[in-house]
Amino acid sequence: MKPNVLIVDDDAAFLRLIQKDMEVFADSFSISIAESGNVALEILENTYVSLVISDMRMPGMDGLELLASILNMFPDIPVCMMTSYDKPKTEEAALGGGAVGYLKKPFTAIELFAQITKMLNKRADGGSLHNVTLETFLQLIEMEQQTSTLRVIDKKDKKSGVLFFRNGELMNARSGMKQGKDAAYEILSWSNVSLTIEHDCIFKEKLIDGDLQALLLDAMRAKDEIAGEFEAEEDDAGSEILLDAPIEESQPEIPEIKAPPVEIKAKPPVEKKAELPPMTPIEKIRHKIKAAVGARDGISDIFADASWDGLIVQASNIGEAINCGRLNALYVHKDRNEQFIVIPGPETLAITISQDSPRDRIIAALV
Amino acid sequence: MKDIFQEVMGLEGVRGLLIVSKEGAVTLTKSSPEFKNEAERLAQINWLPFTIEMSGINDAELVYDSARFYIKKFEDGYLIVIVGDNAPLSMVRLNCEVLIPSLSKMQPATKKFGNLLRKKLF
Repeated sequence: MKPNVLIVDDDAAFLRLIQKDMEVFADSFSISIAESGNVALEILENTYVSLVISDMRMPGMDGLELLASILNMFPDIPVCMMTSYDKPKTEEAALGGGAVGYLKKPFTAIELFAQITKMLNKRADGGSLHNVTLETFLQLIEMEQQTSTLRVIDKKDKKSGVLFFRNGELMNARSGMKQGKDAAYEILSWSNVSLTIEHDCIFKEKLIDGDLQALLLDAMRAKDEIAGEFEAEEDDAGSEILLDAPIEESQPEIPEIKAPPVEIKAKPPVEKKAELPPMTPIEKIRHKIKAAVGARDGISDIFADASWDGLIVQASNIGEAINCGRLNALYVHKDRNEQFIVIPGPETLAITISQDSPRDRIIAALV
Repeated sequence: MKDIFQEVMGLEGVRGLLIVSKEGAVTLTKSSPEFKNEAERLAQINWLPFTIEMSGINDAELVYDSARFYIKKFEDGYLIVIVGDNAPLSMVRLNCEVLIPSLSKMQPATKKFGNLLRKKLF
């Protein structure tokens, strides 16, 4: 599959110019364009993208916010930032935020091509393999305790996924919007694949439980079960006779009318849900955050803490002075490098977060 | 002086900014034309109780229904940037980082010049 580079910039004319200039390199890679961070994320959800190059300064979701979203949702896709606002802090912010490269505008087509090929070549610095048996190759990685990122393409359905290995351990996987074990099972079920190997792994923490052998066995079992279901349907002559029965001879439908009572039996599970105890405020917050940002929330604790009440009162008074509504949340960075998100309420709650925590998304989920 | 704030004020969604001393005095105000009345009300507030609560805090963000305050501590006080929902927060934070080293140089030597300085900026 040819690499696809996504260029993100709110300047539509600039995007068209890049697309036109890069046409000469169409044999090496294709170019997709997006005029905003939100459109870029939609494209990433639905299209295979090898590299993102984004302007830093865009209305709505700016480049740094897009970078943070991509690192969270598509951690294997490298992002290069570009800007005409070139100050030392800008490059520091871009690279510190996780960007793999930095382009200063204006740049020539050749400079852009050089940056693109540099990024794309890094993705395949370990080489490529085609028509391989995935299980055997993965077992080799485990045996040799390799650290690598495998980009896998299912040649049959043209789907793509990524497996992350560190010292032979499967750390994480991504396929489309899925991450973790679900993504691993999907990728491991593919039969005829191509692989691109990069000698690096961005994950230091193992996000998939269980060892590779167990995952391979489960994935193979699931694959066999699906294949078995298809065979059973083909062999079941009884079902075929029923399907062939003409609708006009409607008496066979009478047994179907009896189906609704089965549905009535399905009601009790709804009643069981009502018996669950109500969630505490802290549990509600955890639930919202998990739904919004997943496992990588960077949160170390959530607890009630009235020590913030003085600041909340003063901040609320300031908001009232200019009628900007209720104070919904505070982010606080203390001198000792402690960071908190504080949620006012009947009981003030404090969330301790790390430097890497996606705090804007957490706050958006809670307010 | 206007030049150093031009970049921040030029960002989409930035409504205004203030500089508040640690003693709670507003020493500078800038605003977009639409936010002028609110900026004047903010300049009249006694910020001392707030700055006392901000003791030990490096930077903070206050998230309201229809606005957000980004607050950054520097040597002589606090830079407060008021933004709407559509402001690019990362760029606001980055621009404030760039601005901070310049702020200490422009602060008045004594408080009594604060009001005079503010008038000149308008």
